[in-house]
Amino acid sequence: MNKVAIIGTGQTRFSKEDGDVEKLLFESANKCIQSTKNCNSNDIDGVLVSTNNNSKYMGAILSETMGIQPKVSHTIEHLCSSGTSAIISAYSYISSGLSDVILISGVESATNPGQVLKWDKSRGVFEHPIYWASMLTKSHKRKFHTTEEELAIVSAKNHKHAIDNPLAYSNEPKTISEVMNSKQITDDLRILDCSRSCSGSSSILLATEEKARKISDELIWITGIGQKTTSASFTKNVLEEIKSTRIAGDSAYKMADIEPKHVDVAEVHDAFSICELMAISELGITSNEESGEFVRNLFNTENRMINPRGGLIGAGHPLGATGISQTIEITNQLQGKSEKRQIPNAETGLIHNMSAAGTSSSVMVLEN
Amino acid sequence: MTFFEKQLKEGVFQICYCKNCNNVLWPPKEICHICHKKTDWRKSMNVGTIAEFSKKDSTYFGLIEIDDGIRVLGEISCSSEPSIGQSVKMIVSLDTRPHYSFIVENN
Repeated sequence: MNKVAIIGTGQTRFSKEDGDVEKLLFESANKCIQSTKNCNSNDIDGVLVSTNNNSKYMGAILSETMGIQPKVSHTIEHLCSSGTSAIISAYSYISSGLSDVILISGVESATNPGQVLKWDKSRGVFEHPIYWASMLTKSHKRKFHTTEEELAIVSAKNHKHAIDNPLAYSNEPKTISEVMNSKQITDDLRILDCSRSCSGSSSILLATEEKARKISDELIWITGIGQKTTSASFTKNVLEEIKSTRIAGDSAYKMADIEPKHVDVAEVHDAFSICELMAISELGITSNEESGEFVRNLFNTENRMINPRGGLIGAGHPLGATGISQTIEITNQLQGKSEKRQIPNAETGLIHNMSAAGTSSSVMVLEN
Repeated sequence: MTFFEKQLKEGVFQICYCKNCNNVLWPPKEICHICHKKTDWRKSMNVGTIAEFSKKDSTYFGLIEIDDGIRVLGEISCSSEPSIGQSVKMIVSLDTRPHYSFIVENN
C-alpha cells in the first residue's frame, strides 16, 4: 500500500448567511493549490467533492473550473461526515495506486438538506437533531451524573478557542454563565450547546509519497483510519454510547499503532456539547464518568488539546466542509503553523467526524 | 404511500415481521434481510415503556420502546413528570410525518 501525505490546504471563512456553493468551492480549491510549493493542475488526477447540496456533477464542474482533467471525479455525501468520508475515499484511491494526487473539496450553504434525515421515520415529528441531542444529554446526566455546568464548559471552551480562529463564523467569547443562561431549547439543551449550520468550504490535497516530496516540504502523513456505521435510524442507538466512534477509533489506533495517550491534539465532532464529552470518552482520551472534569481542567488550564480551532460549536458547521476543516486544523497543528492556537510540540493528531447522532463515525490519525 | 403509512393514517401501527424466521423488521421492509423471505404484518399491542424523556416548552417527548424492541420518538401526555420504565399507551396518526403519541397509564 502506498503511503499517503497531506500536501496542501485551503479554506474560506465560515458564515451563518447563505452562500453560493460553486463560488465557495472554487475559492477554497484555489487557495489549496496555491498553498503548495509547486503543484499545478496537471499534477492532479483526482477531484472529489463532499457536500449535502443538491447540485449535480460537482466533481466535474470543479475539475473543469480548475483546469483539471482527472481520472477520478465524483461527489460524496454522508451527512455531517461527508468531509472525512471524501478524504478516506481519496486515501483509498491513492494507496491502491489508482490515483497519485487528489484534490478533495467540501462545501455547504447554511440552509442545506443535510440537517434533517427525512428517511428516519422512527423520529416521528421529532426529526430535528435537537431531539436526539436532548435524549443523549438527559441519558448522560442520568447515568454519569454530568452537570449542566460541565456541558456549558464545552461550549465556553470552544467559543474561547474560536476567538483565535480567523475563519470561524463568530469570534465572540461566551462565558460559562452566558452559556447556562442562553435560550432554553429543551429541558436538556440550550442554544449555545448547539453547533450552527454554516456556509463555507475547505479543500485539501493528498498525494503519494513520491509526488508529495516533489510538491511540498511540509508533509503530514495519514497513518490511521477507522470507519463504522451501526445504523441510519437514531432510535437504534444505545443512548449512553456512540458505538460507531469507539469502533472507528479502535481501528484507527490499531492501524497507526498508537494508543489514545499518544494523541497530542484532537478535533472531535461537537455537534452538541454532549457529543464532545461522549466522543473523547469513546476515543479513550478520558472516561464517561470523568469527561466533564477532563474538559473543565482543559478550560481552567487553557489547554487547547481538544478542538483548538473551536470545534463545530465555536467555528460553525458547514456539513460537507467540516471534516476537511477538522483535518486542516490538525495538519496545521502538526506543522507548527497554528499561531495562537498552537499545541506545543504536537506530533500526533486525531480527527473524529460523525453523522446522524453518531450512527456512523470516521476517525483519522495524522503524524508529522 | 406505503402500507405502513396508510395504516398509520388510520391510527394503526403495523409491526413488520418475517413469517419464516419470526424476526421483527424496523423500519418496515418487504423482504427479510436475514432469510430473504417476504415479510408480513401484525398489529401493535399499542403499549410501550419510556426509555428516556425530555421537555420542549410545555410538551414532554421521549424515546419509547414498543412491541418487540421497536423504539420511536414521540410526544408523552401525562399529568405529572414521567419516569423511566413507566408504561404508556400509544396513539398514532400521519400527516406529512408519522405522529407517535403516548399516554402515561395510571399517572
